[in-house]
Amino acid sequence: MPKLTAMMIVRNEADRYLIRCLQHLERFCDEIIILDDSSTDNTPELCLSFPQVKLYRRKESLFLKDEAQLRQELWNYTVNNSPEWILTLDADEFLEKKAATELPPLLKQTYFQAISFRLFDCWGSEKYYRVDGLWNPWLRGFSIYLVKYQPHLQGTWPKLKFHCGRLPLSYRRLPHLEGHLRIKHLGWANPEDINKKYQRAITQDPEFRYMSKEHYDSILWPPEKIKLEKW
Amino acid sequence: MTKKVGLLTTNFFHPTQDRIIMGGAERYQVDLCRLLRKLGYHVEVWQIGDNWTKEFDGVKIHGVKTSMNEYNTFPELSMAFYENSVSFDYAIYFILSLAYPVAREKSLAISHGVYWDWPGFDVKTGRHQDHQEWLRRMNIALTGPEKLVSVDTNTISYFNSTLSNFYHKWEYVPNYVNTDLFCPIDDNQEEKDKIRILFPRRLVPVRGVNETMRAAEILTSRYPWIEFHFCGRGHDDNTEKLMSQWVSTQENCYYDWKPFELMPQVYQQADIVLIPSRSTEGTSLAALEAMACGKPVIAGLTGGLCDLVLQGYNGYLLKPTVKNLVAAIEELAKDKAKRKTMGQRGREIALSFNKKIWDERWSKLITDVFC
Repeated sequence: MPKLTAMMIVRNEADRYLIRCLQHLERFCDEIIILDDSSTDNTPELCLSFPQVKLYRRKESLFLKDEAQLRQELWNYTVNNSPEWILTLDADEFLEKKAATELPPLLKQTYFQAISFRLFDCWGSEKYYRVDGLWNPWLRGFSIYLVKYQPHLQGTWPKLKFHCGRLPLSYRRLPHLEGHLRIKHLGWANPEDINKKYQRAITQDPEFRYMSKEHYDSILWPPEKIKLEKW
Repeated sequence: MTKKVGLLTTNFFHPTQDRIIMGGAERYQVDLCRLLRKLGYHVEVWQIGDNWTKEFDGVKIHGVKTSMNEYNTFPELSMAFYENSVSFDYAIYFILSLAYPVAREKSLAISHGVYWDWPGFDVKTGRHQDHQEWLRRMNIALTGPEKLVSVDTNTISYFNSTLSNFYHKWEYVPNYVNTDLFCPIDDNQEEKDKIRILFPRRLVPVRGVNETMRAAEILTSRYPWIEFHFCGRGHDDNTEKLMSQWVSTQENCYYDWKPFELMPQVYQQADIVLIPSRSTEGTSLAALEAMACGKPVIAGLTGGLCDLVLQGYNGYLLKPTVKNLVAAIEELAKDKAKRKTMGQRGREIALSFNKKIWDERWSKLITDVFC
């Protein structure tokens, strides 16, 4: 079976979904490369409690300054650990449970070097995902989360401080197999996080260069305007 | 020196997006390109696109900017291919009509089945003079290539009775299945409490999805021990969304499409497989895969399905109305012994459609024509 390496950036995740996320990844990943972006809680210790984890630590946080540089560093650490397939997930994202049995056949297929998935944003709870506007997972398309490492491809990022993508540009251009597994994103699942994340989003993108104002506004919509479907 | 083969198709990649949905035709193309490369040829592909060049599975694919579709032929695309592939030694027209108006001297054209038996085709060639024009162009398309390859006998019969002067050109190379990968499992364990009906097709009307959904509503409300599994991509994202919403309103109906690599297991877990196409069928890969897994197949009476399913022997051939589907499924669902016998016969038939035989037939054809 081809080796599967997960790579992830973490920062102060101890009180969020980190343990669940690593428990989920250890079921089907051979190695988990983590770059800790200068956490001030016990995130690094939690990471190291999982035997598959290889942890790298930054002394100074880059996430809000230069995400592309941070992603580049994680990529470099990952490729230095002899990967075959690389899965990029955040610490609040989960592939469906059946990934443990249904991901391996995808790694063995020989048609595609990249695999994409649909991401479902759980909203206000873990049981429902959002389907209105740009939140609609069925209509906004697939994104590549899983790639076969190819040394001949350039492993560089566009010079963007934010929204720079999780994989090097050359990998994001590969023809990709649209995967059937869904990704459950819990970033918006806790109602307490929503306002905080809204503030961060508009601080990072005050001129609405990456997303429309309407989309950012929709984060704070009242429940009656938000459309949900059961997970 | 390595000889070069140019292959012309319409849509392998989506013409304007980086999107491929791997269906049967796409798999066939990749497998044919792999075989050509194994035989020592250099292969490149042309299709409709926005003047881009991409690569897939080690093969360059060139997008030709054209939107012209006349009488279901693509003359601009075909002529651009003719000029652009001048330095190539041989050509393969992946769809018969692509050999119109001009074909390379050393070339082959492939039919994946009759697509003009769809009633909607009448919208394109319904008027008598339009139909005659389409047929006139098909006559030219069939004239150019040295050999015409058909995946089913239905296409050959149609043309032999319509444009009979190509009798000597036709070669029957039916579709294929990897019978090692798609194989039966021993399900003689304990009695299952549910009968699983599988619809392993795209969610499009010509594949009979609407009739199957209605049959599913009737049968699952009549029998709590029957469940329906829809396993296929939509023609667009919205269809997949609608199907997900529909199954959430139904008892014992499920929608969960899978990539090819997981399909053997999907067939193995099924008790009855539905291929209820109304039209536009060749020797369906899905039907062959189901048969190779030892499952009885209820198939639409159309196209190349009649080359695979013998009425009452390894399944049923029927006009896929809701009434007919309900009756056939109901009968088989209640008769375990019949399902088993039909499944075993299906497996036996599938063995003669083994991928290795397809490789051999195609290799011989290529050697005969590309010389």
